[in-house]
Amino acid sequence: MGIDKELESILKRVEKPARYIGGEVNMVRKNPDDVSVRIGFAFPDTYEIGMSYMGMQILYNILNGNDRICCERVFAPAADMEEIMREKGRKLYTLETFTPVDKLDVLGFTLQYEMSYTNILNMLDLGGIPVRKDDRKDGCYPLIIAGGPCAFNPEPLADFVDAFLIGDGEETLEKVCLAFADAKAGKPDRKAFLEAISEIDGVYVPEFYDVEYGENHSISAVKKINDRAPETVTRAIVKDIEGAEFPVNNIVPYIDTVHDRSVVETFRGCTRGCRFCQAGMIYRPVRERKPDTIENLAMEQLANTGHEELSLLSLSTSDYSQFEPMATGLMGLCRKQNVALSLPSLRLDSFSFRVLDEIQGYRKSGLTFAPEAGTQRLRDVINKNITEDDIFSATRQAVELGWEHIKLYFMIGLPTETLEDLDGIAEIARKIMDINYDVRGRKGGRFRVTVSVSNFVPKPHTPFQWEAQNTAEEFIEKHNYLSSKLRIKGVTFNYHETATSNLEAVFARGDRRCGRILEEAWKLGCRFDGWTEHFRPEAWRKAFENCAADLGFDSADDMEAFYNYRERTAEEILPWDMINPFVSRDYFLAERNKAVKCETTHDCREGCTGCGVNRYTDCFVNCKQK
Amino acid sequence: MKYIIKFKKTGVICYTSHLDIMKVFKRSFKRAGIRLAYSQGFNPHPKMGFAQPLSLGYRGYDEYIEFETAADWNNMNGQEILGALREIMPEGLTLVSIKEAPELKKTLASMTVAAEYEIRIPVSEQIEGDARSLWNQYMGQERITALKKQKKKKEPVVIDIKPKIRQLAFNPKDDCLVLNAVLDAGSESNLSPELLIDTVISTLGLDCDRAEITVSRLELQFKE
Repeated sequence: MGIDKELESILKRVEKPARYIGGEVNMVRKNPDDVSVRIGFAFPDTYEIGMSYMGMQILYNILNGNDRICCERVFAPAADMEEIMREKGRKLYTLETFTPVDKLDVLGFTLQYEMSYTNILNMLDLGGIPVRKDDRKDGCYPLIIAGGPCAFNPEPLADFVDAFLIGDGEETLEKVCLAFADAKAGKPDRKAFLEAISEIDGVYVPEFYDVEYGENHSISAVKKINDRAPETVTRAIVKDIEGAEFPVNNIVPYIDTVHDRSVVETFRGCTRGCRFCQAGMIYRPVRERKPDTIENLAMEQLANTGHEELSLLSLSTSDYSQFEPMATGLMGLCRKQNVALSLPSLRLDSFSFRVLDEIQGYRKSGLTFAPEAGTQRLRDVINKNITEDDIFSATRQAVELGWEHIKLYFMIGLPTETLEDLDGIAEIARKIMDINYDVRGRKGGRFRVTVSVSNFVPKPHTPFQWEAQNTAEEFIEKHNYLSSKLRIKGVTFNYHETATSNLEAVFARGDRRCGRILEEAWKLGCRFDGWTEHFRPEAWRKAFENCAADLGFDSADDMEAFYNYRERTAEEILPWDMINPFVSRDYFLAERNKAVKCETTHDCREGCTGCGVNRYTDCFVNCKQK
Repeated sequence: MKYIIKFKKTGVICYTSHLDIMKVFKRSFKRAGIRLAYSQGFNPHPKMGFAQPLSLGYRGYDEYIEFETAADWNNMNGQEILGALREIMPEGLTLVSIKEAPELKKTLASMTVAAEYEIRIPVSEQIEGDARSLWNQYMGQERITALKKQKKKKEPVVIDIKPKIRQLAFNPKDDCLVLNAVLDAGSESNLSPELLIDTVISTLGLDCDRAEITVSRLELQFKE
């Protein structure tokens, strides 16, 4: 596929032009005349980030496996590219055929992170598509859909997106595309089409629901205004992922991306029940792929891509029911083929150490622990099942085996947190340094500890969905406190930008009215808000100020306080209540009450904890029972 | 066994860098089941290399990659290797031919001495005078000084590029001024076409955005 002169001269002006050319190994290019429906899979961040996302490869493979569908990729152009595109009036295009996105039938965004929302509006605009769905009703524009974890609270994007796909996308997305193809063949009728897809499991069409607000700003009622739409939208699920399509012909990017390796998903879901963790709730239950299947997928992918690295994908690698034999088998196969095996998020028991010692050899990368909280009390509150004994005994083993770098991840601003919990963070770092002195002697060698602290963001569909977030001032005070406590030789302290965390929380739990703020921020030039170098807190502040009065608030501060800094009551209607994630509200409430009392809930592999998922589907499909 | 493959790089893949194309070849060998010899040491890497790097955005019509297959691997002969690679190379990387090079002691990179380029500058309406007078105006200068960036230091240095220009022809053609140039290339003496372009534009007083200019490498020349 040739490119025109204008694009060629654009490419010579921008950084990393290979981001914008496609043509990679295993890319699928179809003749548009041979298919019934064309969809653009849009990732609202740069090529390097998007190409590292396995979900895109999974869906691309499924959609293009269907003769009636053609799926092409679209990424957010970086600032330099955007500027030239706007100057030349060049529309955002797909990488496969350089088709302007407004010529597609469907444009689907994946929602991985709230801070990418301004990029969605910007990509629509760059594609010549009005951002608001009301402004698209009279024209001939693509259907705009969105899915991914953030779609579990779709409301902040309800003004811009025609339909959301909630839950596993493997089956739903194909169904929606085929429904579009059928609709296209008949008389085009937007409403009839949306009604038809609203009957598919997991599809939420926001315009079929009316939201009313009470005097205290919170939602007073959500009214369904279309007979065919469901009362609540049940998340879509692939009940048995063993049988689900998984790609073996992954697209291999030319340029370096965040992850450029073969990846096999070993299982979906997590049994641990950490109370802050949205992924641990919305991907339940655990469903495994069989060991042979994993091995075959891995070998086929390596053969088809030429990758030098293989990694496994799940929420907790070691929790795979046959982890030891599977890991041992893969290690052998990788060794034979000069392929590096990378096993993320291992639980550090003796087997893991043997594995790590073998796959990392003499070049040991850092060892990572995520205690998340500094004291046992707070770890019980969040139900993070790791003890200091676990950490310290693993550290001792690691130091003895030659590791020189330990990374620790914590969250601050968790419910019930006190200064004592922050002291605990410093205490853990200090004790780890002491263990090293104990093993390596008084000088301690080059050993170092990195403490990374992120700011707690309460997420929908978790037991902490009702909690208040810390204010910027509270976070900053805690960062300063930790800074002084962590002045320990050999310890590095990193923390996350506060304003970003506060904004993330607004859009994680926001309602439909937040779309106004989002649009305003985008108009003020906000893009790539998740990137420190592009984040513009003043513009965001201005957006809040410009919208507060229109949305019925006395001030921007009031508005932020409403969305972020107040505890919601158990009776309050939450913006995402029309979404049914399978886990019951009663379970979230019970977990919340236990949290306050510092009571833990055991891993559900040890016995059902009654989250409610098994009302809809089987738990532990293909897992080997112990 | 050592081999040399001649290939072309054309089309959009020209916007992929030298190092990334190296990675494409490395992975293509793997995908095609061709096992390469590896260097010894802590960080073994496959024995392969290009004769000369090709700058981002340039087209290449006479590019070379040399590689060595593993000593205990002889599953394919040269033509079979070429065939297997051709099946999987991405669009824009066209493999022309392969030859065995058992006698090769030095690397192709160290044997490269010159390269021929065709540079198209879309400025025909600005050109006054014929090819000969343009040549005189440019090559008639005693010295042709250009600013060259240095690898380590920040300050660019002034160099005289005239001795590194082996041949140069100015050909006004279509809407372009076409330069055909043979320039020093390789480790002993090297001249980037970018410096030729800069100095031609400034000497002839042309007004042209670099992004409108296309550069093709037509031939690589090696020591006998």
